[in-house]
Amino acid sequence: MNIAGKLAVAAALIALGACSNVTNPIGGGAGGAGGIGGDASNPTSPAYFQQVVGDRVLFEVDQSSLTSTAQSILQGQADWMIANPSYTAIIQGHADEQGTREYNLALGARRANAVREFLIERGIAGNRLQVVSFGKERPLEICSAESCYAQNRRAVTVLASDLTG
Amino acid sequence: MFDTGTKISAVAHIGLVGWVMIEGVFSGFTPPSEPIQEVSIITMDEFEALTAFRTPPALSQEVALPAPATPNAPDLPEVTDDLPVPQIDQPDPVAKPQPETEPEPPTPEPVPDLPDTAVLAPPAPDTPVTPDLPQISDETPALQQSDRVAPTPVAPPPEDVAIDVDSQSAVTPDETGEVEAESQRETAEEAASDRIVTEAEAEEVASAVPFRVPPLRPRDLQMPQPTPTPTPTPAAQPQTDPNAAAEDALRQALGTDPVPVPTGPPLTAGEKDGLRVAVSRCWNTGSLSTDALQVTVEVGVTMNSDGTPDVNSIRQLSATGGSGRAVEIAFQAARRAIIRCGKHGFELPVEKYDQWREIEMTFNPERMRIK
Amino acid sequence: MRLVFACCVLALTALTAPLAMAQSGPLRIEITEGVIEPLPVAVPDFIPLNAQATQYGARIAQVVVADLVNSGLFREVPQSAYISQVTDFNTPLQYADWRAINAQAVITGAVGLSGGRLTVQFRLHDAVSGQVMAGLQFRSTQEGWRRMAHKVADAVYAQLTGEGGYFDSRVVFVSETGPKGDRRKRLAIMDYDGENVQYLTGSDDIVLAPRFSPNGDRVLYTSYETGFPRVYLLDVTTASRRPLEQADGTMSFAPRFAPDGRTVVFSLTRAGNTDLYRMNVSGSGLERLTSSPSIETAPSFSPDGRQIVFESDRSGSQQLYVMNADGSDVRRISFGQGRYGTPVWSPRGDLIAFTKQNRGRFHIGVMRTDGSEERLLTASFLDEGPTWSPNGRVIMFTRETQGANGRAALYSVDITGRNLRPVRTPDGASDAAWSPLQK
Repeated sequence: MNIAGKLAVAAALIALGACSNVTNPIGGGAGGAGGIGGDASNPTSPAYFQQVVGDRVLFEVDQSSLTSTAQSILQGQADWMIANPSYTAIIQGHADEQGTREYNLALGARRANAVREFLIERGIAGNRLQVVSFGKERPLEICSAESCYAQNRRAVTVLASDLTG
Repeated sequence: MFDTGTKISAVAHIGLVGWVMIEGVFSGFTPPSEPIQEVSIITMDEFEALTAFRTPPALSQEVALPAPATPNAPDLPEVTDDLPVPQIDQPDPVAKPQPETEPEPPTPEPVPDLPDTAVLAPPAPDTPVTPDLPQISDETPALQQSDRVAPTPVAPPPEDVAIDVDSQSAVTPDETGEVEAESQRETAEEAASDRIVTEAEAEEVASAVPFRVPPLRPRDLQMPQPTPTPTPTPAAQPQTDPNAAAEDALRQALGTDPVPVPTGPPLTAGEKDGLRVAVSRCWNTGSLSTDALQVTVEVGVTMNSDGTPDVNSIRQLSATGGSGRAVEIAFQAARRAIIRCGKHGFELPVEKYDQWREIEMTFNPERMRIK
Repeated sequence: MRLVFACCVLALTALTAPLAMAQSGPLRIEITEGVIEPLPVAVPDFIPLNAQATQYGARIAQVVVADLVNSGLFREVPQSAYISQVTDFNTPLQYADWRAINAQAVITGAVGLSGGRLTVQFRLHDAVSGQVMAGLQFRSTQEGWRRMAHKVADAVYAQLTGEGGYFDSRVVFVSETGPKGDRRKRLAIMDYDGENVQYLTGSDDIVLAPRFSPNGDRVLYTSYETGFPRVYLLDVTTASRRPLEQADGTMSFAPRFAPDGRTVVFSLTRAGNTDLYRMNVSGSGLERLTSSPSIETAPSFSPDGRQIVFESDRSGSQQLYVMNADGSDVRRISFGQGRYGTPVWSPRGDLIAFTKQNRGRFHIGVMRTDGSEERLLTASFLDEGPTWSPNGRVIMFTRETQGANGRAALYSVDITGRNLRPVRTPDGASDAAWSPLQK
């Protein structure tokens, strides 16, 4: 990956953090790169979760089944959440732009739910995991090519501090 | 001495002349009273639709008067006393389920202030409606750019030629040096493709056969006048018919008064086809409702001997496939076709006038629904 | 008696036989080919009846002409071609002058202004036969001059085509600004021709796919106001809104009014599975219409309210299905290549418009309600979300261009596939829904 590509990823991560500010109903901006995410070298920080464990998994075209790569990432997410029980998460499902709007909403929901089911199966309590779908409304990469589409067909686990207590 | 064709022609002409003498209608022609069966076919609904259109409404009577202009025409029916103009009130803050989200209040001003607002997104460059079509020629109009669809594709006329339904040739002096009194400007038929090509179909053609000939025939398109363009016959003059002398000679030679057989020879298939094509060129179904496009209407018209239709004789004989307004609209389109393309006279052989004095035209839009 | 009758018949036959021969039958021809071209119309400026009304004479004529030309069924005969000028509303037209410039219909009008109220009168002339076909007058406030012009155009359209017009109508849509990766979306409403844009929501939250109530006074749409997609009901006049009832942990979207205006059908996602439900606008009577592990969304009622067309991927890919309004008797209607979505039932009841994806391209198409006679009208990188004009003749839809600078815009197309043209909007625009004709 060239420098531009790395910059794009970095920008995307920042954008994602900003996004979670908007979408987190609890508030607090959990998972933001500059917020309470903290230092990625700290294994208990959301930044570590995001950048080292990996906060997202990708899907094949029009699919919501988890690839083996996705499953290993999600196993890492499950382990991390078990080790850090004060966090909850909203799992965002997304689709690429090659689909009609409402179908893609439903497709994103399928993807987010596939992640949630997996995490529950690996021991995370269901009440710590919410799902939401953005369909094709929030693409991460904006080119109209498979290289971008592949990055957009994703489910992102966005952490939030458990402030409900 | 005389071949069979001449004999047939002679007999036919004698018959025609004889019938004309008996009837005595050649000059000062008046349309015959409408045959009874044609009236009887018309249903009550059709009759009402017909008369509703033909009888000028009360309004037009008023217009016909060179009336002193009254500022308000009180007889105009008033449809709406007051048209409400939608004005969006400020949203009721109490009604907001999430007051803390503070949505921007709706602005009653209709004009947003962004500078680039007037810029319309042009069609995507990746949607080649026409550029991908086989290159016919640079000047050839793109399929979809012609908003006209005609039975045969028509290339755009030269710019200095007026568009007309008749595509007349310029009148040139004939051998006798006579020039028709009313000079006619050279006109051409407006450019047209031979079917509606949707964007999807255009793309299909473009992607499937990138360099092959599409359904459109480019060679036809390059021809300036691909459609048969009958030159209008000037008002025919029976007495100058070159055959007349021969007929007289024949009659004298035979020495018998011809039995009055008032029918001339039937129109040839080509002659009927010419008439059909001529009317087709003015039968515009482009502004018909989808309901009207379901209606097949049979129209009767009495023709003048110069090939022009007697406009007042155009009548609806029957209609199938619809009712009410749809039938009325279908009839109007048929009527306009006959009037507009007949205004210079259809090309019909005058010696067979009796064969086409009365014409019944069936306008069947089945093939025009989705062209 | 019978014999006498028979004799009479014989006698009559004998008498009439020669007559029948003498009177040759009419020539019969059948016309099956015609031309499809816009009907040329001339619309001289409306005559101002007093000095105050002067500014409206030309403006009203321009709106009338724009409406008619916009439909694709009419073509303007430019005013520069006129041979005779119309200077008085009640002076008879010189029809020959209009025929000479190939105008087949002429619309004359007058406009007066007094006490802040406009009166608009018009007459529609058939130039070919030299007759007045219709005449009406409208009254309104000054601000209503555009609506009156649209009313004139609707009346002319109805008279000339035989079907109702659609010009006095509005469109609710999603106005889009900002870059592709962070689109700002807000609900907006405008006249069908892009005039009088007004915004109904702010742009803080994503809003999607609005739909008018049957009489146009309310709008159902989806908003992310809570962070999760949820159905809202908005009053068009006051812009006040409220969310419909929804269980926790679910998403609701794709709401559509039933023709009765009281029932809503929508998609509800629970545990990743999306099905169709119906309930009363008041929030009571939630009822599940489909129950399958597949995606069921994008419902649309038939105009009589008895059936619903929707999309489902129960076969393995997105296809169109029709069911009774209670969820019974589901049958698939789309069988062509590719994927089919966003079906919308025509207000005339005869056709269903849809989005089709095939071989990497998007199309807007129409088919009969049984799925037959499919016809694709458009093709592009991304077309979707058709909506019908009130008379069922025109389809408006979203077209999005590709690439990082991709932008959404509204287009309209005649159901024959002719007259594809962009709809003017101030910014990017998507998810249009056409209102019924205004009262």
